[in-house]
Amino acid sequence: MALTSVQSFYSPEDSKGVIELLAKYEDSALIVAGGTFLHGLVSRGLLSGIEALINIQKLGLNQIDVSGATMTVGATTILGQLQSCEQVQKEAWLGAVKDAMTYPPVQIMNSGTVGGSISSSCPFFDFPVTLLALDGNVQAEGGNGARTISLDEFFAGLFENSLEADEFVTGVTIPVPASKSTSAFIKMETNANDLAIINLAVSLSMTDDGSCAGARVFAGGGVGETPVRCSAAEGILSASKLDEDTLEKAGQAAADELDPLSDHRASAEYRKAMGKVLLKRAVTSAIGRLA
Amino acid sequence: MSTNVIGKSITRPDAYDKVTGGKKYPVNYSLPGMLHMKILRSPYPHAKILSIDTSEAEKVAGVRGVLVPDDVPKQYFTPVYFVPHNAPSMVQDFVLMSDTVRWAGQPVAAVAAVSEDIAEQALELIDVEYEELPTVFDPEEAMKDGAPQLHEASPNNIAKAPSFAFGDMDAGFEEADHIFEGVYETQRVHTCYMEPRVCVVDSDTDGRLTVHSSMQHTFGLREKLAYALDIAESKVTVVKPTYIGGGFGGKLDIGFIEGLAALLSLKTGKPVRGEHSRGEDFISTTRNPIKVYLKTGVKKDSTYTARSIRSILDAGAHATHGSEVIMVHGLYGTFFPWKCPNQLWEGFTVYTNNMIGGGYRGYGAPQGCFAVESQNDEICETLGIDPIEFRLKNTHREGDPHPVLEGHKLASYKIEDCLRQGAERIGFDKRKPAGSSTEVKKRGIGFACHPLWVSGCVGFPDIYEHSGATVKLNRDGTADVISACVDLGSGQISMLTAVVAEELSLAPENVRVVYADTDTAPFDAPTHASRATYSAGLATKAAAVETKKRLFQAAAAVMEANAEDMVLEDGMVMVKGAPDSAIPMTDIIARAESPFIQVGEQGPAPTTIAEKGTIIGSASQAPPSNPSPVGAQFIELDVDTDTGVVEILRVVYSTDIGQVIHPNSAEGQVEGGFQQGMGYALMENLQFDQETGACLSADFLDYKIPTSMEMPANIESIFIDSNEPSGPYGGKSMSEMCLIVPAAAIANAVYNAIGVRITDLPITPEKILKALGKL
Repeated sequence: MALTSVQSFYSPEDSKGVIELLAKYEDSALIVAGGTFLHGLVSRGLLSGIEALINIQKLGLNQIDVSGATMTVGATTILGQLQSCEQVQKEAWLGAVKDAMTYPPVQIMNSGTVGGSISSSCPFFDFPVTLLALDGNVQAEGGNGARTISLDEFFAGLFENSLEADEFVTGVTIPVPASKSTSAFIKMETNANDLAIINLAVSLSMTDDGSCAGARVFAGGGVGETPVRCSAAEGILSASKLDEDTLEKAGQAAADELDPLSDHRASAEYRKAMGKVLLKRAVTSAIGRLA
Repeated sequence: MSTNVIGKSITRPDAYDKVTGGKKYPVNYSLPGMLHMKILRSPYPHAKILSIDTSEAEKVAGVRGVLVPDDVPKQYFTPVYFVPHNAPSMVQDFVLMSDTVRWAGQPVAAVAAVSEDIAEQALELIDVEYEELPTVFDPEEAMKDGAPQLHEASPNNIAKAPSFAFGDMDAGFEEADHIFEGVYETQRVHTCYMEPRVCVVDSDTDGRLTVHSSMQHTFGLREKLAYALDIAESKVTVVKPTYIGGGFGGKLDIGFIEGLAALLSLKTGKPVRGEHSRGEDFISTTRNPIKVYLKTGVKKDSTYTARSIRSILDAGAHATHGSEVIMVHGLYGTFFPWKCPNQLWEGFTVYTNNMIGGGYRGYGAPQGCFAVESQNDEICETLGIDPIEFRLKNTHREGDPHPVLEGHKLASYKIEDCLRQGAERIGFDKRKPAGSSTEVKKRGIGFACHPLWVSGCVGFPDIYEHSGATVKLNRDGTADVISACVDLGSGQISMLTAVVAEELSLAPENVRVVYADTDTAPFDAPTHASRATYSAGLATKAAAVETKKRLFQAAAAVMEANAEDMVLEDGMVMVKGAPDSAIPMTDIIARAESPFIQVGEQGPAPTTIAEKGTIIGSASQAPPSNPSPVGAQFIELDVDTDTGVVEILRVVYSTDIGQVIHPNSAEGQVEGGFQQGMGYALMENLQFDQETGACLSADFLDYKIPTSMEMPANIESIFIDSNEPSGPYGGKSMSEMCLIVPAAAIANAVYNAIGVRITDLPITPEKILKALGKL
């Protein structure tokens, strides 16, 4: 199926131009940058009403700023750029981001963008799950100006988010943790071009004696219409020594919290079982980063 | 044998063109004024079409022609290229369009318009009224009394039921010390060629058709298209594609686009182009799933006493290749590769409401090898027998009579070297007992071999086999090769170039495989069945020999010597043993093509009649035999027993293909074959909704094949020193063997890692965890 409904392709120079086009086309416009997910959506008949594509790559939103108390990553930053960011490579608290960037093939790394990964609102993507675990926020701009949306409020359903019709994602922010923190991410996939069968990210804030002071656990892939927070697992991990017994219990809790789907990629049963394995492995990997 | 070109990996003549965009791929072909065709496909797996209303579609601006089943000649035939359309061993149940649909995706209408977009829009306006019919998707269910019937002529949906037997089964099993029984199942997979099926068909005012298409057989397409349209074969010219973007057997039958585009071209007077989307490709050809019930009796001394095999093949809606795949599966996939005194094989090609099948590299043998080699491994494991010695005890040996072809011998057949050298390279003697590792990640080593395959189809009923070529020498010292042999990407251009360069003592860059079509080139059977090097290679060598004879005749006239005494070395023609007599072959060619009376310093002087005439030679011939390549593949892998994920670490493939013509291409065949085999073993699966029949894996987001990221870093090819006396420069075949063995080898390595055997492909992480009792 071709993208027959698209009549126009725009490349505005500033966000004002983007917002005007969004206001004009409302639901029949689609923001594009890397364009890596376009084919998948088109071939599933999901873009049948789209009349205009708005390319935001001329807005200069491809900057990463790690100087302040908040890390900001522009929407058109490609995944490869994020991967080569020094802090992503070195800092334990950004370990989940580093991990997530090891999965895509080079074509996606060189074209796919941070903004696209978030605003596609696809529960099978990897970066959103890591960002959720890191308490990230979405920066958006629209007719009413710029605003910050917390990520768990941003995702509203399968391919749905809380953006207004004239709003678009300009970037993401991640608070730099005040205390010692570490994170990790794992994805189950059949090949490097795959959507996650299941993926999972953990972020842990640690005390000096090696205990866990707080935890964030999110799972994505075929586990729900949006990524799922595993609160019970977080509770077990928090204020614990993260010993084997704790990991076992937290893993089981995570599995119990998931109500995955069965499809041609995997059964719900397998996804649930992997929730446990991934949690245990991700926590172990995150702790390993502090060694 | 000393050679200049053979065995030296010449630069592939098509390489630069391909890496700079490949403008000669059929998908890039276009003609002025060309229309674009799109096909409306049935959403139902089994239904009767009650009515079709195309009036709204015809009103769309830019629509030039519409076809419905009533517009199509009701010619029923076999669409498979390599057999006659009415071959008795096949089934004639295929028609371009019908009022009965038997699979979700069957064409029910076609539109030609000035653009693809307009054609697609028009399809949406065609109103089809269907009456849904009961469906059956499982072949064993389809065989039962009372199951929905798909074709009137085939009670219980059995399209073909061949069987073979010899010996005394009861006595054989009686004699056995142990009897092993198992059921082995394989799934539906796609060849995943890169270039889609695509064609451009043009018509003349007198109804002649010219066809460009991405396919594996020029002459097969001519025959099937002419028959489908009920016109004379000579009215169809099929142009050989310079190269195509992969076939692997998936473009070995006519399918629908050429026929429908031809009818629309005849209707509109315009060239018409048809191209499959990837989703359409996925439902147009597949490796047939086969379920194999296998029972084997073995004596304490490791020899077989009896084997019974029952194979049930899911043909889908039409028999297409299914009736031949089952035969090849039976004969060369399970029955004759091994020595067993008492054997019974029963095959069933069964209709279901699944998609139609097709050819795919290995053609029934990967399914057989997976069953037999899995069970061989079980036998050795249970009885504590050395698995390599067990194979050697039960395989044929070099010099033995060919088990299928009467009067032929296994003249080159180095199975023992394959097994021993492969085992040594992988370190087979160091492998641990099955499932013995206590780690979460368990290491496994396994192997499989396949002791009988083909270099073409000599000996098979109803299959075209002969090849032909013309070789012409030019005055600038180059040679043109006219051959209808299609290069699928597997190196046929290089092979033909190497053969001619070797025979005519030319530099490979001075040999060109040129334009050919069904009007100007001699017949060639398809590029399939691992036959091109052996059969087309031999015919092209024979054409080059004819050309050389003609060159010597001309040289003999010039040199006033005997043609029989001439030799050709390094571009020089000379009398044998008299290097002083040497004349550049270009001088002979130039004189042969020059005016009869030439004006020199002494004025006009006649040359001789005997030296005149283009230096050209042709040959058209059937190959003399069908030598068997053999191969063994050894795999080292890890299984993560918490997730079920398999990681392939190392692959060693040792094979006897005779003299290697082009080592780099041969290694490419091994690696590409492994990629497809690894996909077959671990992940590939065309999945369909079992209620609606809709394909659930219609693009590469959902249909998973190994990418370079999953492929092992090292695939080691060992080419055993061998020479096939009947082959071109000692060569025989290669391609399919590389894909017959991987699934069985991987399955056996997985077993060695975890100690539990998986008998249905693909071996997914989920199946592994279930087998381990962890799910």
